Amino acid sequence: MTLAPTLQVREFVEIPCTVDIPYRFAAGKYLSRFLVELRDNGRFLGIRCPVCKRVQLPPRIVCAVCHVRNSEWVELGLEGTLTAFTIMHLPLTDPTTGKPHKPPFCYGSVRLDGSDSVVDYFLNVEPSMRRLRVGMRMRVVLKPRESRKGDLTDILYFDPVD
Amino acid sequence: MDDSNWPIFEVDQHIVAHGRYYAGKIGSRFFTALRDEKKILGIRCPHCGVVLWPPRATCRDCFSQLGLEDMEEIGPQGILESFTIVTYKEPIQPRTPPFIVGIVRLNGASCGMTHFIDEVAHDEVKIGMRVTAVFAEHRQGHIMDISHFKPVRFSTD
Amino acid sequence: MKRNVAIIGGGQTHHAGRRPDVNQGELVNEAVRAALTDAQVAIDEIDAVLLGNMEFFEGTHLTDCWLVDATGALGKPGLKITTGGTVGASIVCAGVYHVASGLFDKVLCIGFEKQEEGDTGAILSAVAHPLYGRSVAGAAVGYFAMMGASYMAAWGATEVHSAMVAVKARQNACKNEYAHLRLNITIDDVLSSRMLAYPIRILDMCPASNGACALVLADQKTAEDRCAKPVWIRAMETVHNEQFEFDWRDVTTSKPMFSRVAAHNIYKRLGVQDPAQYFDVFEIYEPATWAELVWYEDLGLCPRGEGFKLIENGVTEIGGPIPVNPSGGVLSTNPIGASAMLRIWEAALQIRGDAGGRQVPKEVRRALATAYGGTNWTVLTALSKDLED
Repeated sequence: MTLAPTLQVREFVEIPCTVDIPYRFAAGKYLSRFLVELRDNGRFLGIRCPVCKRVQLPPRIVCAVCHVRNSEWVELGLEGTLTAFTIMHLPLTDPTTGKPHKPPFCYGSVRLDGSDSVVDYFLNVEPSMRRLRVGMRMRVVLKPRESRKGDLTDILYFDPVD
Repeated sequence: MDDSNWPIFEVDQHIVAHGRYYAGKIGSRFFTALRDEKKILGIRCPHCGVVLWPPRATCRDCFSQLGLEDMEEIGPQGILESFTIVTYKEPIQPRTPPFIVGIVRLNGASCGMTHFIDEVAHDEVKIGMRVTAVFAEHRQGHIMDISHFKPVRFSTD
Repeated sequence: MKRNVAIIGGGQTHHAGRRPDVNQGELVNEAVRAALTDAQVAIDEIDAVLLGNMEFFEGTHLTDCWLVDATGALGKPGLKITTGGTVGASIVCAGVYHVASGLFDKVLCIGFEKQEEGDTGAILSAVAHPLYGRSVAGAAVGYFAMMGASYMAAWGATEVHSAMVAVKARQNACKNEYAHLRLNITIDDVLSSRMLAYPIRILDMCPASNGACALVLADQKTAEDRCAKPVWIRAMETVHNEQFEFDWRDVTTSKPMFSRVAAHNIYKRLGVQDPAQYFDVFEIYEPATWAELVWYEDLGLCPRGEGFKLIENGVTEIGGPIPVNPSGGVLSTNPIGASAMLRIWEAALQIRGDAGGRQVPKEVRRALATAYGGTNWTVLTALSKDLED
């Protein structure tokens, strides 16, 4: 049985689809040590390549540039230099919790003393151009030990060093 | 530091994504016909004659462009081409096991449709059975507007 | 190149913010039919079909399988590729390798994105490492904003320079019937538009588009026998970056940045001394205005730190000596899976003289297309009118 031909579709159907997928991630050897040190002792550990001497964060087994095993663990300072920043006017949602960070807020890249790599995080600076400056000195402020779980969110924020 | 004493660190996370699938021109007609008319539509290719389910805008076999005017009703009866009785449990499943999933070749179609088979004892399901679509009471333009397929019993259907 | 490879045809959809009238297959099929028609090739003559999009952006895996009807791939060999923002060009890379190897003569390359269907924010957050950064993953706009803040601090550029790039892109797009955003805007319009993440305003940033692009690649014999205006792909270069290193936001970094490395490699291969002289037009993958200024420098069109002077002096306008993104670029049209392929296709249209209202007003013999992925790697494509170019 054939339907009468119609030249137009009056209603375009949309069907909602939600996927909720559970994952279990293993941090692996070097990253596990980094996260446990951060959680338990409030320390940042980088790793140095024996050939190019780069101190890398997060610590990883192989230096991508030299293709050799990174070997020397280095405790980094808890102060560093701001290399880039932005003032976010959009809410940034933590996908692991679904909680949004209310804008406006400052967010930036800090190179901790002793590290070649930078760490991106929230900055405890008023969201205007009055204080923010590439090159300003920042200090890590961690959450108290009992709230830390071995994740970058163990950092409360970067605070300006006055 | 002791190189052999590595902590084990694992984290459980979820990725939750909310999407919406667009049925397109042909698909929209298919779903609205299910919802509003309790009709199942396939699409006939005017060039090679194949009648496809699901209906779509390009012929699977000869790449011809297909239009709304090529859609035609198929079923609601059909033959059960294959089936399985699912007994293992997975959180993602749409029904609680045990349940029957089968492929139904609807009358007029050149290929099958996967759906639930119900209203039949598990030891009575047979390949080659004649089945018919049972529509849901509340339909919304979704494949589950067909609730399941049930056997055609000649004394009552 | 083991065998020479040409683009003998292509097509794209009219890109749009909303395409509720089509499903993924219908969208892809629009570009596929346009490409086959342009190439004057029937689907049965295609030897392999390569398809790419952003992983899981449409909430469906195995898009190459689900879209077999639409792509004409039934019974044919082919691959599905996902490489982030570079995927449109990665598909062409794979297509070039297929033809250059001598194993395939005619290959159909397809890039698409139906972004409105998926939860792109959630899926993009999954690009970040799950245990090192996902919980604080900034959106793409945040990353480019940091690059912009760094650029201004390092080189003395201002938000006006960013606005100039935005105006160029949007005015060029007005001449491109396929572009998604075609906005007749001024610098003041940009500077008064909504701030998303300082210093990036909404008019400085790319949209999310629905669209598809398809190309037919062929070997030299097919191209010379059947195509009036083949466009030759002379070289492609891809370079992976180290994903954990976020230095690309710091424009003063001494680290070798993927785009500079790729440019260096491709120029060496082709014997390019001065890219601004060698290439007649550039199609650059710029998700944000600041990225374009950095690309000018990374491609060697000007010294480091002087990219903003090029836009200030109108050098990269459609009628200028170094035209960049006459199509309107990614800033105007961004169906991510297709965006990198669109750079190649738009460059090819310029070489063919088929770019309509957005054709640059000078002879185009050589073009360079770039692609840029959120995984911080890149694909460069050099195209030419003749094999002697």
